[in-house]
Amino acid sequence: MDAAILNGLLALADPHLLMLIFVATLGGVLVGALPGLNATTGVALLLPFTITMEPIPAIAILTTIYCAATFAGAITAILINTPGTSASATTCLDGYPLAQRGEAGRALGMAAVSSTIGGIISVVCLMAAAPLMARAAYNFAPPEYFALTVFGLSMLATIGDGSPVKNILSGAFGVLVATVGIDLLTSIERFTFGMNELSEGIPFVPVMIGVFGISELLVQADNLHVERKQVIMKAIKLPSREDYSRVWKTILRSSGIGTFIGILPAEGATVASMIGYNEAKRWSKKPEEFGKGSLEGIAGSEAANNSATGGAMVPTLALGIPGSPTAAVILAGLMVHGLRPGPTMFTEQADFAFAIFWSMMLVNVIFFFIGLWGAKIFARVTLIPIQVLWPIVFIFSIVGAYALEQSMMDVWIAIGSGILGFFMRRHGFSVVPMAIGLILGGMLETRLGQSMVMLDEKWWLMLTRPLSLFFFVLTVLALFGPTIWGRFFKQRSPLKSTGE
Amino acid sequence: MQDAADTTDQPRRDISRYAVPLGIIAFCAWAYWLSTQFDRVPPILKRGMQPEDFPQLVIGLIIMLSVWLLFRDTSAAPERLTKMVQMTMGLLIGFLLVAEIDLFLGLGLFAGSLAALWGERRFWAVFLVGLITPIAVFFLFDGVFEVRFPRGLLTNLWYG
Repeated sequence: MDAAILNGLLALADPHLLMLIFVATLGGVLVGALPGLNATTGVALLLPFTITMEPIPAIAILTTIYCAATFAGAITAILINTPGTSASATTCLDGYPLAQRGEAGRALGMAAVSSTIGGIISVVCLMAAAPLMARAAYNFAPPEYFALTVFGLSMLATIGDGSPVKNILSGAFGVLVATVGIDLLTSIERFTFGMNELSEGIPFVPVMIGVFGISELLVQADNLHVERKQVIMKAIKLPSREDYSRVWKTILRSSGIGTFIGILPAEGATVASMIGYNEAKRWSKKPEEFGKGSLEGIAGSEAANNSATGGAMVPTLALGIPGSPTAAVILAGLMVHGLRPGPTMFTEQADFAFAIFWSMMLVNVIFFFIGLWGAKIFARVTLIPIQVLWPIVFIFSIVGAYALEQSMMDVWIAIGSGILGFFMRRHGFSVVPMAIGLILGGMLETRLGQSMVMLDEKWWLMLTRPLSLFFFVLTVLALFGPTIWGRFFKQRSPLKSTGE
Repeated sequence: MQDAADTTDQPRRDISRYAVPLGIIAFCAWAYWLSTQFDRVPPILKRGMQPEDFPQLVIGLIIMLSVWLLFRDTSAAPERLTKMVQMTMGLLIGFLLVAEIDLFLGLGLFAGSLAALWGERRFWAVFLVGLITPIAVFFLFDGVFEVRFPRGLLTNLWYG
């Protein structure tokens, strides 16, 4: 393992790769700062560009975009009171009041420092936890994997601010869509309507581009009246020593919270930032300052949302279960490159895994400097009119959808998914569970089939296996726990998220 | 006044509340019927499940959840689609039709029209998104990523 850690670091010594990571960091910050775009959309749109690359640079670019875009949401949150990503919604609460008082630089400085520390802590946890988790999962048999995947899907219930039932329904729809094509167990075609293009199933990439990119274009058609005004920012001023002494505990606490939330399947940076912010307020000596320009508020939110990125990659790489919506798109990227996330990744492709970890570490350092000294420029990006931005995004979306298989069918799938995604969002169905269901659907069916063979078609024997039973119990708790908890205990303060 | 508007919206809310779950159930019924048409493997070759078993399991779950929504969902109906969204969707359909003639002609027309529809009045901006960007993207993907685009009215000028 030590050799893999070193080899991963050495892989980053390639100047070409370093340049790519730097450019991707700039691109990620840009994506996070642009109105309507977020980490998930950015990664989905860039996925086709990475197809012709080697796996290490390709996945490093995607994870870099993920980390950088998550941070960049804070720039717009502080300067124009519009979170670039939903994970930065809580940063607005204190960042914008500070900016209005002429302390935008101090707020941005705190956001950059907290994000960097949170990001680095989470990558260290990722390096330690992912191989351990993979080792624990190494002896999983198909029933355990099936139960784990069911648990991962059950966690979709809490994504977004829609009802859990709608989220599970959306996820189940994704799983149903994943059954299109030739059945891997029996080689029989299903739902293909005689079209050869569908025999290998509905491709992930055009669906991702459709549900995250094109559906957002339709949402933006309703936001044309939104005006964005930038607060005038003086020179960047780093937080003072006093500021640090006030917030260091908050940063560490939120980093821990964010990493833990990120590790939970399907929960992402948005939930992490909300819990991080709430906990920062709860533990603060001056809770009355929250919402009026508290540095602790910014630190609590930003450390948590950036640490969730590293945490989210733990189950993604170790188990093949995405830890967040963006991690789901990265998982699709891994699959497109023929990589198999799971326990074997740390035995057969350990160098690759550690190269990705080191690149995530590096990007946290790069965006610290970009965040501090480039914030003024990136803040201007937010003022690009959406009348110009979104037609360009559409062109890249369509060409990206086409480029992977060079098939017009994928263009139709992207547009169809976009329109479907738009209507789902209108009626309160989050599109994230659908995307994750589509990615995990094939795995779920294969493992159920293998379990049935292994258990002589007696599915109930899965409940006699301790680990499977453990994951099924967790599933029941994930689905019904909040309701039961809510009945017996009064909820302190309801948390709402908007997904990612 | 507010009450009057609420009363007018009430039937629409009721329809919307029932239409979505009923639509999903109807879709599932169709998908279930399709799944009954799949070929089956002989019992001796069966590997745990028949090809229709898993889709039918998922369809059953979706129907169950939709029935729950039908009776228990109390969320408000969304606002009516605005004219802008309807026209943007119309442009998307227009793009798909023009793309059959030439993908980049469709992209250019769509991007330029969308910018104009959304209120962009500066000529250079419409020119940028409707002409410069599609051309730049074409040469980027053709030259750097070696993507071969479908032949069409304009792409034939390059491919010969």
